[in-house]
Amino acid sequence: MLFKTLGIALIIGGFGGFGLNGARRFERRVEELKNMRLALGFLEKEITCTYTPLSRALNRTAVFSEKPISLLFQESAGLLQAGEGITAGEAWRQGLEKLVRDSSLNAADLQLLNSVAAQLGMSDAAEQKKVFNLLQEELKLQEEKAREELKSGRKLWAYGGFIMGAVVVLLLI
Amino acid sequence: MPGSGKELLRKEILPYFTQPIKDLLLSLGEDRCRQLEEIRLRCGQPLLLKVGDKDFTIDSRGRLSEDILGGYQVGEEDIYRAIASISDNSLYAFEEEIRRGFITVAGGHRVGLAGQVILQGELVKTIKDFSSLCFRIARAVKDCALPLLPYINSSNGGTSVNTLVISPPRCGKTTILRDLARLLAYGSKRYPARNVVIVDERSELAGSYRGIPQLDVGPRTDVLDACPKAEGMVMALRSLSPQVIITDEIGRQEDVVAIQECINGGVAVISSVHASSLDELQRRPVMRELLSTQAFKLAVILSRQNGPGYIQDIVRWD
Repeated sequence: MLFKTLGIALIIGGFGGFGLNGARRFERRVEELKNMRLALGFLEKEITCTYTPLSRALNRTAVFSEKPISLLFQESAGLLQAGEGITAGEAWRQGLEKLVRDSSLNAADLQLLNSVAAQLGMSDAAEQKKVFNLLQEELKLQEEKAREELKSGRKLWAYGGFIMGAVVVLLLI
Repeated sequence: MPGSGKELLRKEILPYFTQPIKDLLLSLGEDRCRQLEEIRLRCGQPLLLKVGDKDFTIDSRGRLSEDILGGYQVGEEDIYRAIASISDNSLYAFEEEIRRGFITVAGGHRVGLAGQVILQGELVKTIKDFSSLCFRIARAVKDCALPLLPYINSSNGGTSVNTLVISPPRCGKTTILRDLARLLAYGSKRYPARNVVIVDERSELAGSYRGIPQLDVGPRTDVLDACPKAEGMVMALRSLSPQVIITDEIGRQEDVVAIQECINGGVAVISSVHASSLDELQRRPVMRELLSTQAFKLAVILSRQNGPGYIQDIVRWD
């Protein structure tokens, strides 16, 4: 009886934990999109107001931003500072690859971030401002969508995990 | 400080190029590297090297050839990566330089830019979609102006003589002016050292990179980098107490006014001007007006008769 109870608790707890983790991903995505927007705003100011060279601007943005968003800026800054002939676009794409391992951003978010790679640093300040403004606007829309998904998805995943656990237990019994 | 041949090329120029171009240029011999004046990258065209008076290209086996059509074809990627590297991936930080059509890189080498020019009103706003780059290799030729010192300096410690260096393009006038600045600023047993100000509108004389001269212009020389000549001369006169002001390629009415102001303020002016002879110079109204004021007491005429920097004639007007 004891083993049975323990087994039921483990199954429901496991599925429940999986569901809660899924629900937290929705929250983390919203948080990361907001942090990404703030970081890009910071980077834009570094570029358009103080004309800081890109590698240094990315480095400063990495210090300003929170994990895991800072990984993108840290990685790209490091690659550019290594001075091995890598372009800003290539460094940015490699930074995104690093970010994706620890982030809750989805494919559409990453595609948006990837879309600016070729333009990064390669035009005058006014053009750079346009690029960053557009990206921030698009990320804001993604953030709004993510908030909507959070409302419905969080409950679904949080309760769904426990319910699924209970269903599995019932089926096993 | 790297030498003037292959070491200079390897340390100061090659880092801006893609690997295929790097490999080709590394195959050049020391002598060719020393004589190399320009490297030109034009999209879809062969890589061109100006060695002395001739244009060469390099074929895929690294051989120099005058048959330029058989040379390495420069691609968009070569231009894109070079411009990204020159600007440290930060073109926005070089807006002023791009507007002027060139970027000076570490070592004082100048990279001329061509591409699609964007206008704002009637003024150039920027250049985008770069289609060609011209690397002009800056080299100081120490003591090339030594023969001019007895003419320019008075041995009793008095002022230097207002001097006009007259020369067609690519005859070494910038190199002569740079060396004059260095020699005057160092001084010698025979000639006392002078406080020199270089007004370097095109960043060629001192080859400044981020405001710091990359070429030796002497220990008593201040450089107003990227500063319009006329304004720079007046600024220097008011704030830097120069004994000699050196500037390149005068020719506008405002330059003449500024030169008059400096000379009346007791400062010697040494400048260059584009012309192949005094007669040709006299045909330009602004220069005719300047010469008629007798502001300049000495003219040095350069040519390429025996290579760049050859002093063809010296004319005294005192």
